[in-house]
Amino acid sequence: MATFRLQSTRVLAVDLAGDAVKAKKGAMVAYDGEMTFKKMTGGGEGLRGLVTRRITGEAMEVMEVKGHGTCWFADRATEINLVRLTGDKLHVEAGNLLVTEPSLRTGTTFTGLRGASQGNGLFTTTVEGTGQAAIMSDGPAIVLRVTPGTPLVVDPGAYVAHTGRLTQQLRSSVGLRTLIGEGSGESFQVHFEGEGLVYVQPSERNTIGGQM
Amino acid sequence: MAFTRVNSKLVEARVVPGRRMFSQRGAMLAYRGAVTFTPSITGGQGGVMSMIGRRVANEATPLMIVEGDGLVMFGHGGHHIHTVDLTGETLYVEADRLLAFDGSLAQGTMFMGSQGGVMGVMRGQVTGQGLFTTTLQGKGSVAVMAHGGVFELPVTPGRPVHVDPQAYVAHRGEVRNKLATAVGWREMVGRGSGEAFQLELSGQGTVYVQASEEKL
Repeated sequence: MATFRLQSTRVLAVDLAGDAVKAKKGAMVAYDGEMTFKKMTGGGEGLRGLVTRRITGEAMEVMEVKGHGTCWFADRATEINLVRLTGDKLHVEAGNLLVTEPSLRTGTTFTGLRGASQGNGLFTTTVEGTGQAAIMSDGPAIVLRVTPGTPLVVDPGAYVAHTGRLTQQLRSSVGLRTLIGEGSGESFQVHFEGEGLVYVQPSERNTIGGQM
Repeated sequence: MAFTRVNSKLVEARVVPGRRMFSQRGAMLAYRGAVTFTPSITGGQGGVMSMIGRRVANEATPLMIVEGDGLVMFGHGGHHIHTVDLTGETLYVEADRLLAFDGSLAQGTMFMGSQGGVMGVMRGQVTGQGLFTTTLQGKGSVAVMAHGGVFELPVTPGRPVHVDPQAYVAHRGEVRNKLATAVGWREMVGRGSGEAFQLELSGQGTVYVQASEEKL
C-alpha cells in the first residue's frame, strides 16, 4: 500500500513497499531506497487513452514510480492537497494532477463551454475509484461544500477541481459596459449545483473571461 | 545563532562589533543601529589568491561585508530562505544560492571532478552548476536561498538518497555525491520519464532539497 504524507505544504512524501504510483512526469525531487521511473504513454490508459488524450488536448505526461522506500514529489513550488476518494469521481485539470494511487482510474470527460472560458480547453481529466490522489494549486486551496439549496459560484480562473455529483453551468454577465472595455473582470462565473466539494485556489489563471 | 527567522522569505541577523558577516550584495532590506556595508572586492574571505581562485572557478558572487552593531534584515528576490547552523562540518552550496553567512566560517571552492571522476565533471554539466562549488566550514550560520521551501533529508551509511539535480540545494557532512543515470532506450527515443539523471548522495550527513525544479 502506498501511503501519502505531506512533508510540507509543497512537498509530498510517498512510502512505497514494492507497489507503484502514477505521477506527473519529472515531479520527483528526491528518493531513498530503490526506485524505477518509467514513462506511461497516454497517461497509462492504453492505446485508446493515448488517442483520446491527443485529440482532446488533455495530454498528460505521466510516469510510473515503482520500488521500495520513500519518494518525494514537488512541482514548481505549488501547494499540494490530498484527496481521498471512496468510489466517487474527481474532476481535475490534467496539469493540476500530481500523484495518484494505482487503484484509481483516470479518464477524460467533456466539460463544454466552461472549459473554454477557463482557458483549459473543452475537456478535463477524471479520477475514479478508491484511493488517494494529490492535486496541485497555485497557493493554498480552500474546499467549499455545495449542497442542494446552497449553490456555489466560482471564478473560472480560480477553479481547481471538484468531487461529488455536481452539475456545472457557465454564466455570463456581459453587458454594454463589458463591450466598451469597462467590465469588472468578473464577466464569467461557473455555477455549481448539487452535492459535492469544490477546490478553489487563491489565484487566477489567465483566462479569456478574466480579460472582460 | 546569528539568524532569526522573521518569515519564510526574510531573516534577521544580529551584528556585534568584532564579528563581521558576509552577504550577497544588495540583499539588505532594512537595518537598525550603526551598521556599515562595504563591498568585498575579493568576493569573500582570503586574499587576492582566493579571489582569483573563485574567478577561475566561476564561483564568484558579489558579496559585501556587514559590520557594526545592530540588526540587519536580509531577503532576496522573494526566494525562500533556509538557515543552516554549522558546528564544525562543511556545507557545500552553489555561490549564487548564498544569501548571508557568518564571517567565522572558512570559505573555499571545491572541484567537483575530484568526487566521482568523469561523472563528477558530467554532473556539473547536467545540473548547470559548473565544475566547482563553494564550501563553508567551521562554526556559524548560513542563510541559503531556494525556490519554494526547503526540506532536509538525512543521509546515513547504507541508505543513500537520490535527488533531482534541479531540486538539489546544498549538502553538509561527510557525503559523497555522484551522478547516477537511468538512461535507457526510452530516453534515446525521447520517451523518457524525465528522471534520467539523479544525484546519488551517500555517507553521513544531510541534504537540502527544494520544493521545485526551477533554478534561482
